[in-house]
Amino acid sequence: MSHEFSSPSSKDLSHEGRGPLQKALLSLNRIAALIGSVAIGIAACVLTWEATARYLFKIPSDWQDEVTIFLLVGATFLSAGWVQAQRGHVGIQALAAVLSPRADRWRRYLSDVLSLLFCTFFAWKSWTLLLEAIEDNQISGSAFGAPLWIPYGSMAIGGSLLVLVLLEQVIRQDALHLKS
Amino acid sequence: MTTLQIGLLFGFSTCVVLFSGMPIAFALGAVATVFMFFFMPHASLDTIAQNVYEEMASITLLTIPLFILKGAAIGKSKAGRDLYSALNIWLSKVPGGLGIAVTLACGLFAAMAGSSAATCSAIGSSAIPEMRERGYSSGLSAGLVAAGGTLGILLPPSVTLILYAVAAEQSLGRLFLAGIVPGLVLVVLFAGYGIFKFNLERKQAQTQVQEGGASSRILQVEHYTLKEKFMAIPRVLPFLVLLLGVMCALYGGFATPSETAGLGAVMALILIAMVYGAWKLSDLKPIFTSTLSEATMLMLIIGMSLLYSYVMSYLHISQSAAEWVVSLHLSKWVLFFAVSVLVVILGFFLPPVSIILMTAPIILPPLRAEGFDLIWFGVVMSVIMEMGLIHPPVGLNIFVINKIAPDISLSEVVWGTLPFVFLIMFAVLVLCVFPDLVTFMPDYFFGPAQVR
Repeated sequence: MSHEFSSPSSKDLSHEGRGPLQKALLSLNRIAALIGSVAIGIAACVLTWEATARYLFKIPSDWQDEVTIFLLVGATFLSAGWVQAQRGHVGIQALAAVLSPRADRWRRYLSDVLSLLFCTFFAWKSWTLLLEAIEDNQISGSAFGAPLWIPYGSMAIGGSLLVLVLLEQVIRQDALHLKS
Repeated sequence: MTTLQIGLLFGFSTCVVLFSGMPIAFALGAVATVFMFFFMPHASLDTIAQNVYEEMASITLLTIPLFILKGAAIGKSKAGRDLYSALNIWLSKVPGGLGIAVTLACGLFAAMAGSSAATCSAIGSSAIPEMRERGYSSGLSAGLVAAGGTLGILLPPSVTLILYAVAAEQSLGRLFLAGIVPGLVLVVLFAGYGIFKFNLERKQAQTQVQEGGASSRILQVEHYTLKEKFMAIPRVLPFLVLLLGVMCALYGGFATPSETAGLGAVMALILIAMVYGAWKLSDLKPIFTSTLSEATMLMLIIGMSLLYSYVMSYLHISQSAAEWVVSLHLSKWVLFFAVSVLVVILGFFLPPVSIILMTAPIILPPLRAEGFDLIWFGVVMSVIMEMGLIHPPVGLNIFVINKIAPDISLSEVVWGTLPFVFLIMFAVLVLCVFPDLVTFMPDYFFGPAQVR
């Protein structure tokens, strides 16, 4: 299959054959994913409340959109590492059909290394963004004015978890062992 | 370096990095970052994270995870199977009724779940075996489900249309409404072809019997009692109520599109808890797991695609490319044809979300200059991208079918699906000749469009 856009195929994420550090990383990512799931659920409830409150009780909506944005951005970044652990971030695999199996495994390994480099840079910039937001007490531009360290914090933490997962995959040379 | 050189280098690097197999999100982000480093003020690198956040922090975009949640709730339940079997019972008297039932079920399910792959697997896993058992050829069975599944990116709440609304700065409410009639046109075309092919296959079976061959299941007509017909209703009614409820909330002016997304997700979860008793943690876990992995993957692609387009526009690549296209002075329909071909080709490699976000800044200004209605174009572009979902050799739905019905050979699936590719092409043609089919609904509900 030369590309897959569907939801990621779930890879077995068992603790088997992993060292204590790897197990800890996996557990951390599971917790982050759990928080992400709960965040999506809460976001749905917040919006439902917004619609009913405004329509039935004529309560104006002010904080709901902002909270929803924080929750959903948070869910996205916090679970990024967990998705990477299942190799759920899709890419174009068209070259797999052309290259020899050996060359293809190295192509995958190289793409892991490149992903690690980019994500490390992104996570680093998320941390600096977070520190700035805390230092300057930055708040969002809306009337509600929520503190921005909340979403930036989820980006920094989620980005770092993603980097750790990628680092683990690169060190373990996961791509070289994957079935083509 | 001139803009042209930078632009060519940008395009070339994107291709190389994407084809390296790097996840699309990281690949687009990496290309954007490298070009920021070489061609933009260094301060821009410091704000890259902020940039991504600000692009993503749009309540319209963030409806996507919620629509995915609603889709997953319904997709993981038995609603798809029930929907299709109820329709089947009601349409049993019509020759080819099973095919119509499958197409209608796909359309209704797509309108609830908003995902093509989910529609294919939810309806297909029970409909394909039943169609084959009832004598339909494997190709026709697979084709009907694959094609029906594509309706997911056209009918509201389509993720594709949400992104288009953001990229083209068009009203999401209008776009959702605009997708409905073309969706119905496709349903009619698909069902019509299903009936035609069914009758053809039945005639072949009849000739076979007349020549003394074995009888086929396709010749038998199923009978259901009136009681059975009415027994089938209660299970599907709640979901139709959900569908109508969400539509009314949105178009009756009770809720904004984002509230509708939240409302829909909550209602879907309540419904599956009530109808199928799916309220335990073990029932909810797969729903949330699949929502989270799909939503995270998509939202990261979207965030990074937006960063990518930001860099492309900062470096004047998109503007120059758009100006260049305008300066070619192509006639209206040549331009449209060229854009469509581009979308189809990109569809071989990229998911619809990236195609829209990456190409919108380049293709929309020339189209607007030629006087195309951008709501109309968004819908037609989605129909064209539907074709990409079932177009051999890379259509996603073909592989979904291959996964749920592994005993049908890939070539049978491809041949069975091919006629539907032509039907979609025909639908595009119809929409070009009768643009009112698209614009009629939004104009009726929201009043005529202002100059767009």
